[in-house]
Amino acid sequence: MSDPVHAKLLARIAASGDVAALRGLRDQIHEHMEALLSARPIEQFYTDLNEVHDALIRRAVTLSEEQMARMGLGSPPVPYAYLLFGSGGREEQTLTSDQDSGLIYADPADASQLDAVSGYFEAFARMVVEMLQQLRYPPCDGEVVSANPAWCQSLSQWMAKLDLWFEDPDWERVRYLLIVADCRIVAGLPSIWMALKEHFFAHMHQNERIVHNMLNNTMRHKVLVGVFGQLFKENYGEDAGSLDLKYGAYIPMVNAVRLLAIQAGVRATSTLNRIEQLTQKGVFSEQEGQDYDGVFKLFLRLRLLTTSKKESGIYTNNGKLSNTRLTKELIEELKTGLRTVKRLQKQVRRRATGRF
Amino acid sequence: MVKKLVLSLGALSLLFPAMAFADDPSAATLNMGLNSIWVLVAAILVILMQGGFILLESGSTRMKNAGHIAGKTVFTLGLCTLIYWAVGYAFAFGADNTGTGISNIIGSGDFFFSPDKAAGDGVGLPPAIFFTFQLAFAAVSLSIAWGGFAERAKLSAYLVFTVLFTAVIYPVISHWIWSADGWLFTKGAQDYAGSTVVHLTGAIAAFAATVLLKPRIGRFNKDGSANEILGHNQVFGALSVLILWVGWFGFNAGSALGVGDGFFGYVAFNTQLGAAGGAVAALLISWLVNGKADITTTLNGALAGLVAITATCAFVEPWAAVVIGLLAGVLVFFSAKFFEKIKVDDPIFALSVHGAAGVWGTIANGIFATDALAKKLNVGEGGLIDTGNWHQLWVQVESVVVCGGYVLVASFILLGIMKVVMGLRVTEEQEIVGLDLSEHGTFGYPEQMKKAQQNM
Repeated sequence: MSDPVHAKLLARIAASGDVAALRGLRDQIHEHMEALLSARPIEQFYTDLNEVHDALIRRAVTLSEEQMARMGLGSPPVPYAYLLFGSGGREEQTLTSDQDSGLIYADPADASQLDAVSGYFEAFARMVVEMLQQLRYPPCDGEVVSANPAWCQSLSQWMAKLDLWFEDPDWERVRYLLIVADCRIVAGLPSIWMALKEHFFAHMHQNERIVHNMLNNTMRHKVLVGVFGQLFKENYGEDAGSLDLKYGAYIPMVNAVRLLAIQAGVRATSTLNRIEQLTQKGVFSEQEGQDYDGVFKLFLRLRLLTTSKKESGIYTNNGKLSNTRLTKELIEELKTGLRTVKRLQKQVRRRATGRF
Repeated sequence: MVKKLVLSLGALSLLFPAMAFADDPSAATLNMGLNSIWVLVAAILVILMQGGFILLESGSTRMKNAGHIAGKTVFTLGLCTLIYWAVGYAFAFGADNTGTGISNIIGSGDFFFSPDKAAGDGVGLPPAIFFTFQLAFAAVSLSIAWGGFAERAKLSAYLVFTVLFTAVIYPVISHWIWSADGWLFTKGAQDYAGSTVVHLTGAIAAFAATVLLKPRIGRFNKDGSANEILGHNQVFGALSVLILWVGWFGFNAGSALGVGDGFFGYVAFNTQLGAAGGAVAALLISWLVNGKADITTTLNGALAGLVAITATCAFVEPWAAVVIGLLAGVLVFFSAKFFEKIKVDDPIFALSVHGAAGVWGTIANGIFATDALAKKLNVGEGGLIDTGNWHQLWVQVESVVVCGGYVLVASFILLGIMKVVMGLRVTEEQEIVGLDLSEHGTFGYPEQMKKAQQNM
């Protein structure tokens, strides 16, 4: 780590003994990161920031383990992996991201222990989520959090669930599959997570028709640029004149790259890494790879400029880029970028439907 | 077959001997009778358009005002009828002052109209039917004006303005363009069924009202951005457009004021083309520009096509009717955006649908009217494309500017006086609780609104 302040902060997180101290550190880090924003390349910024988030979450997991032990509930009965989904999974968390998480634990040697083991991890996951909430990470609206028993299960339960989702893929299940595609381990034993991941890709390999189901979900969010090259902005309300950068630019691109990546067996979860590996595999030409990389970095940069507020201590963000931020040059850059995403979407559609 | 026919005719003549022996009616009487049937049916269709306005206006606004908005239309239709009968018709079509200088500006005669009980010799249409048809138009113009009052004007403001509008605003414009004595008629201004007379007049009164009333609570934010106040029933909106669309055949084709050589059929045909163009163009333009095909815009587009084709339906070729409708559909979309941008709250889009499209329709005659049709109707001459002459376009622009100017000034003065003397707007509390309760004491949707109130 080139930045000594940053390294010191990470060390302090790892040594921090309670929630209050962690929360103080998070606030400090936000100030530090905001100051650094213009000073370094955007991908470097995200890497640093996500290291910090990871460190905080990891610390919360460790502290929760200790807390469980103190409460007389013992230590983890079997190895586990604490997973991040969504932007955390993709290493694209901003300063205001929420919690999208899951938990996966090894199958107990004796099936009769399953109830006790699941009881432990459900309590444990609730404690982690609660602690992260105190660190001002709001839980995800869609209830994709480890505290939700559906997202806190043993490896074989997880695998059975994936089997079901792949075999009978309705809209909701396809959505879950795409969420799982972005998962990444943040704490615990990597081999458990790897097993899940390989199970997922084995299904992808055998079950090519699933791509058709995934396509609709992937294309669900429209790119906010019109046939005249105009941007579709918010017409009404407080955010009139803003551009919904999150759902009109960033998410469509994330979705498109994800589908190509999982089709091509690319294991990486960050969108930039996926673009790089897709280029290496020849799915994108060198030129396309460069274009997509550039556009995604633009979106990453703009995401940090979207309207955010600190509401009763919680960091929130509506994902919208205010009119006042939209300079003439930026609008031109955005239009070019959005048209590129439309091209990318076309490519995804062609590949998914097998029409070349 | 023939045997059967003869037998049954014989049987019929036994039953109804008059059929065989009565004097055959003269050709003139038959002609008059046919005219009467068509124009009275047309007048009824135009009155039925009030049903369209009831649904349009209440569907485009919120539940808490629905009963008030719908019911007041029935009241103002009644009051408008009495005022038009007493004085409005006299100012519009009274011919007692023909020949005097003032007759160019305003008519006089037939106050408290008492028509002949039957058509006189050589009269193509009984005067009672002509009156009914003209009255229906006045009532439509008035209902358009209510668009500017919606959801915040006091009931008493509706009462007073009905009297003023029906007595001294609408009849003046109607006289200028449609009375044989009117100065714009003499100049050859072409407004077949009233893009200016009915629609622009109503829209400008609505504009004055909406400016003087100020926007509804919550329509615009402090920073100038707009909020969307959605209407409570889009199905009412769509149904209203269909009712108005059908009623419009009475509006336009009825304006032939007779059956004649069947020309009214051509007018109806062009009307359908204009409406179609407006609906199609509006949906497509909203889709292209906003990325989402907007239903409200589509409905407005159909109406704008109808408004624009109202002046032009008898003066243009079918292709021009399509072009006029298409452009009206595009115009209404951008016009609505424009009024929102200048922070004019136009809940029913009256200014765009009836105002912008009314101006466009009137001016379109100066561009698309053919000389042959102008000569046939004996009103003005062909427009720019057919004749290469700018004259008719100038006349059309002049009539729009002068008529619009008169209505604007008169409405601002009259509504301004009302605002000072009696106040136009309900209190903030009344507006929030809804006009159903504040003006009438009961809800249009009692179950839903009582539930909503309990939750408050």
